[in-house]
Amino acid sequence: MRLEIIQKLSEIVGKDNLYTELEDLYCYTYDASFVKADFKKDLAGVAVYPSNTEEVAQIIKLANQEMIPVVPRGAGTNVSGGTISVGDCIILVLKRMNKILEIDGKNLIAVVEPGVITGQLQSEVERIGLFYPPDPASQAFSTMGGNVAECAGGPRGVKYGVTRDYVIGLEAVLPTGEVINTGGRTIKNVTGYDMTKLFTGSEGTLCVITKIIVKLIPLPEAKSTMMAVFSEIVQACETVSEIIATGLVPCSLELLDNIYIRNIEEYAKVGLPTEAGAVLLIEVDGDSEILAKQIGKIEKICSQLGAVQIRVAKTKEEAEELWRARRSAFAAVSRLRPTIIGEDATVPRSSIPAAVNRIQEIAAKYNIIVAVLGHAGDGNLHATILTDETDQEEMARVEKAIDEIFIATVELGGSLSGEHGIGRAKSKFITIQTGEVGLEVQRQIKQALDPNNILNPGVMFGA
Amino acid sequence: MDSSLESWQKEVIRCIRCGACQNVCPVFKELQAESTVARGRVKLIRGVISKDLDLTDGFIDKMSLCLMCKACVVNCPSGVKVDKLVEAARKEIAKKKGLSPLKMLIFRLVLKNRWVFNAGMRTGRIFQGLVFRKGSNGQGMLPRMSLGIDKRRLLSPLAQKPFKSMYPEVVKVPEATMRIAFFTGCMINYIYTDTGRAVINVLNQNGVEVVIPSLQNCCGTPVRINGDYETAKTMAKANIDVFLKEKVDAVVVACGTCGLSLKEEYAELLKDDPNYVEKAKKLGSMVKDFTELVVSLEGFEGKMGRLPVKVTYHDPCHLIRGLKVKEQPRQIIRSIPGVIFEEMTKADTCCGSGGSFSLYHYELSTKINDHKVESVHKTGAEILATGCSACRMHIEDGLNRQGNPVKVMHTAQLLEMAYQAGANPSPVKHDKGKGRKNLE
Repeated sequence: MRLEIIQKLSEIVGKDNLYTELEDLYCYTYDASFVKADFKKDLAGVAVYPSNTEEVAQIIKLANQEMIPVVPRGAGTNVSGGTISVGDCIILVLKRMNKILEIDGKNLIAVVEPGVITGQLQSEVERIGLFYPPDPASQAFSTMGGNVAECAGGPRGVKYGVTRDYVIGLEAVLPTGEVINTGGRTIKNVTGYDMTKLFTGSEGTLCVITKIIVKLIPLPEAKSTMMAVFSEIVQACETVSEIIATGLVPCSLELLDNIYIRNIEEYAKVGLPTEAGAVLLIEVDGDSEILAKQIGKIEKICSQLGAVQIRVAKTKEEAEELWRARRSAFAAVSRLRPTIIGEDATVPRSSIPAAVNRIQEIAAKYNIIVAVLGHAGDGNLHATILTDETDQEEMARVEKAIDEIFIATVELGGSLSGEHGIGRAKSKFITIQTGEVGLEVQRQIKQALDPNNILNPGVMFGA
Repeated sequence: MDSSLESWQKEVIRCIRCGACQNVCPVFKELQAESTVARGRVKLIRGVISKDLDLTDGFIDKMSLCLMCKACVVNCPSGVKVDKLVEAARKEIAKKKGLSPLKMLIFRLVLKNRWVFNAGMRTGRIFQGLVFRKGSNGQGMLPRMSLGIDKRRLLSPLAQKPFKSMYPEVVKVPEATMRIAFFTGCMINYIYTDTGRAVINVLNQNGVEVVIPSLQNCCGTPVRINGDYETAKTMAKANIDVFLKEKVDAVVVACGTCGLSLKEEYAELLKDDPNYVEKAKKLGSMVKDFTELVVSLEGFEGKMGRLPVKVTYHDPCHLIRGLKVKEQPRQIIRSIPGVIFEEMTKADTCCGSGGSFSLYHYELSTKINDHKVESVHKTGAEILATGCSACRMHIEDGLNRQGNPVKVMHTAQLLEMAYQAGANPSPVKHDKGKGRKNLE
């Protein structure tokens, strides 16, 4: 990066909020994805931490003028390679813009800066009986800006939807440096194109989000949790489809396969039968009077479809114990192999049994370990590949298997990515789903807003 | 602990870069730069192993910016041992680049050699008035001139006499039911002798005979975590020999850091030494924190009088995440009649001391400490109990900077006060808001 650019950036954000040392920049060559930046080629030129919209706008204006790529970044917890450095770029970290500006209990909305931690917003609104449901696994440390840019989901998606369903307005800096306000504070709003929804999930390619207005809902009064154990995974998958088809809407409906069960039991000793084919963890929420009835109906479906064991938590502590199994899942399998690649192919819910079947066939074909743990209730299966990145021969097989899983997912009418995003990890596959026309339209939108292709180049559309 | 940094390859690739460490790293909370959080440190170490990076000054600086508080380790979904990785990197730095001259002098000459340490500390006590002045509440002392450490840094004065010279080697009790050896650690021996005294008084009153082996040394942790393994090994072996000679039921510590080194880290450090590794394990199996031992003593609550004070508790990193001692001190505090125990928020977050971290990164360590002081203040407690002398000194420093009169002490001292109140039932005068004065 040219010294004069660094000088100008330093004038904008202050010298304490700018990093140019090799060791600092090296730490922006990764995020939580499996995408590897080429250190020699992709090291950023500078990382800046602006504190307000005005500073962001000045940085973007400068970058656009000088045609310097900009990679916006929150906590860097995305798993699609959306925030890693690309060549001599500016890493634009929004973590200092971390204020909850407003929680409006009368209009059920909150206004936040992009650096606010998702979990922090959630606990603040819950204190006054309100609820912001999107719950990505990283919610305790991911930022709201990142969640909006990636349109993050989570287990509650089955009942409450994803980030997109809550964002009603944005302030953002466009790639040319102008500030745009989209949507607003109203629930209904059809003035012009829905730019809010376009920007949500745009993965930092169309704008830098500087302020977010989200709608909130009342916090459900109570929850009830149960676990059902099946000897065959296909029975569990059919149960999921049946629960959904019956019109029941749990707030979480999580599936764990045998690989997860065995490892969780070995690691956390929660009393799972290790010979079981699959476990479903089901939670319903709402007014306390209706919970028992809902759980009763779900219990009946589970038994009809062959559940060999059903546990309904009687106390909060028991529910906590059931969730402990789910929460320790990741840690448990990470002890099996050193490298874990989490995929997030998503299929229509009636196709879950077929999708699980296809994933298992592909794993067998390439002789690799693929465990399945999914937000099965919304068709979002997380095929987890357990491997060792230092074993190049195995990694080659893993890559082929991942390619096949993507193709199988789309064939089943599903989506390449349910909630992780395309980023750099899946950009070469995007046309399998969008088609050539679909991709071309998206390219034109990008071109219209970002004529110099400075914002997160390479993400979504490939290099 | 294998000799080369390369041998840690298998550990570094287990980091999946999920970022969960961002939520708990006290250093990252202040600095926010990716290179200052656990996954950044792991990535940098990986970079050195893969030869992307060298042992540059930048790298050395990043490795020094770790408190070794283990918060990331217990919160890591993959269980990556980040503290061990940072230690391995520091060891590599010490090996290839050498220690700084000051550290070299302290580690190799002073800490390693008990007599030099003793002599230095005795001389230090006489001259400390020349270079330090009293803190604002009459507590502690502040440097009068620049010593390479911040002038605002409140250090506690050295004791009149080292703790070990105040007691016989065996402190006997009539009809002892148990005999233990007390590993004092440096801070209790040279600075906080009041903690050592409390440990002995409390144990004696419970019929426990206390042996204080005079040949014990510094545990070696400050040396090891800064990368000087050879010195650390010599110190470990010396302590192992000294303590295994005693015929005792347990080895008691009143400091989580010393405790963890004796209990687990000696065995890791000496794993390639077939002669000593078994001895290290044997010593490890005997180690107990003071509070662990106390709660196992029948009737320890029976001797307490009333202490009408509000108390909060700070979890030292190496006590809670190292020795896994969490409930025992709380159980002791709660069992004291009259005490109102108020849990602070984030009681288990590092106070920012990190041993020599607070001397080299004082400004940062102060910012981290401010959160702790704020949490203490919010409880309205008059006494902060804790289980580590370094935490005690650092939090006292923080309270001093903010003019906060909360009194900081080891859990053993609070218990000693309760026993004293039991022995002399004259009511402890108590005046709200001036708690500290009345307690002295």
